[in-house]
Amino acid sequence: MGCGSLVPEGMRSTWKLAFVAPRFADDRAVGGAETLLRRLAERMAARGHEVSFLTTCAVDHRTWKNERRPGAESHGSLRVQFFPVDASRDAEAFIRLQEKVGRQGTLEPSEEISWYRNNVHSTALYRHLSTRAADLDFIIAGPYLFGLSMAVAQAHPEKAVVVPCLHDEPFARLGPVRRMFKSCRGFLFNSVPEMKLAQRLYGTNPERCAVVGMGLEPFDSDGDRFRRRHGLWSPYVIYSGRREPLKGTPLLIEYMKALRKRHRAPVHLVLTGSGEVPLSVADRKWIHDLGVLPEQEKYDAMAGALLFCHPSSLESLGIVVLESWLALTPVLVNARSEVLRDHCQRSGGGLWFGNYPEFEEEFLYLMQQEELRRRMARQGRQYVLREYSWPQVEKRLMAALEAFSRLPPAALPRRAGDEQV
Amino acid sequence: MNDHSIQIGADGVDAARIVEEIRERVRQKRAAGAYADPAVAQAERLNLGGLDAGSEFMDLYLDALRGACLVDIGDFPIEERRPLLAPLLVPLKRLIWKLLRFYTFRMWSQQNQVNSLLATGVEAVFRNHEQKIAELEKRIADLSNRMDESGR
Repeated sequence: MGCGSLVPEGMRSTWKLAFVAPRFADDRAVGGAETLLRRLAERMAARGHEVSFLTTCAVDHRTWKNERRPGAESHGSLRVQFFPVDASRDAEAFIRLQEKVGRQGTLEPSEEISWYRNNVHSTALYRHLSTRAADLDFIIAGPYLFGLSMAVAQAHPEKAVVVPCLHDEPFARLGPVRRMFKSCRGFLFNSVPEMKLAQRLYGTNPERCAVVGMGLEPFDSDGDRFRRRHGLWSPYVIYSGRREPLKGTPLLIEYMKALRKRHRAPVHLVLTGSGEVPLSVADRKWIHDLGVLPEQEKYDAMAGALLFCHPSSLESLGIVVLESWLALTPVLVNARSEVLRDHCQRSGGGLWFGNYPEFEEEFLYLMQQEELRRRMARQGRQYVLREYSWPQVEKRLMAALEAFSRLPPAALPRRAGDEQV
Repeated sequence: MNDHSIQIGADGVDAARIVEEIRERVRQKRAAGAYADPAVAQAERLNLGGLDAGSEFMDLYLDALRGACLVDIGDFPIEERRPLLAPLLVPLKRLIWKLLRFYTFRMWSQQNQVNSLLATGVEAVFRNHEQKIAELEKRIADLSNRMDESGR
């Protein structure tokens, strides 16, 4: 089956692909990387490629309990196969080592092995993949931190294409991760800064790198509808996504507290997404923790905001920033996220702050300049439509797979010592 | 990398220029002491990861630390938000404050001494390291120049 106008002459029209993700993104499991993999797989399946989606039965990214039934299900044009997470993993040891990496930035070699072994694995999935691998052109796995991606790269280096969603964090420097980056056929990055980070950290060959990202569909949104529904008439800043220290949510709350205190600014903060936010009774008067909202309501909430603020320094794409631009709301982002800063710089759709005074000045500056806010939002939207529309993303993905298919097989050992799966 | 890589460059609002202008304004305001405020120190304590971003952040953090290290042990207006209970509760709160002051003042004074010493110590260590790093960078640059010259 052909791919219509997306396939330039000389390019292959049909690929046999398996996507591997630690969880299946739906209304039960929310995750940026999982959503990205699902959407890429759906688009490729809709284009007529032979696509299977392999994932685990887990829903919760903290417990990794097998909550779904193993077996195959159809989700639209996508055939999804669920496999149980290995019960043998020592979750406590894994969490202990995760915390040690977070605290000290490194692990002893023996601890790295333990971290890898107790990561999220599914022997059933690996067995299934090994029986089918010979028929496949590529196995597309991600994100980088999960045992599944590392194991797939080790077992099938000549077919593995990793969608790393890489962040500049201590985990990126662990031995098993480094080895994975040396034993894959190719990498699909979400942004240029993410690709440069991989090349800086691992010396990844540029021929094996491609920036693809995820496409977003334009949508209509109505800020007034959100304000009416929630009776929120004060100006507000919004953050959507996982609410946790790694995403910078506590930092945003502290910055907003300081801003309100120093300038008696009547601005509110709206938080949407998963995760818990401990708030005092006083905080609840101006911080509106709405939890996970339906997509349309989230877009409406974005559209009604003065600004979208993304305080995270660990982003490989920042889908919510792109969505905020589609909702015609400018953004303020953490300057330490090269990816978010790069989006803002190239689009002109937002500003970036490195510390509280910069946050305060930028907020006050934008608050006073309605016309500038509108122009920034429009530029952000144009940027998303230009760079992250599905036709563009599909073209980049097809070109990347074509380029990877012409590379010599990765000249690396198939399996490495204690890290065997 | 494939041929369909993302394009760089955008017309219209120059976000980098706006951010640079705002940073300049922040530098001027910081020099004038606009951010030596405990509220800023409180907000910045979660941004310590930014310490590796260079001495500009460190200067700000040290300013904030100096502003926040002393616990306010002075008297303050004692109030009661329930008007009916105010005539009873305000004198009671004042009495408790006076009774406890002999003990809390002593404790807070010690805490202030410790905080001040720590703040001074952190600043001294930072300045010392800053100077050493500058000297080492100068030496490396000199050695590189000499190697370049000897290689010619």
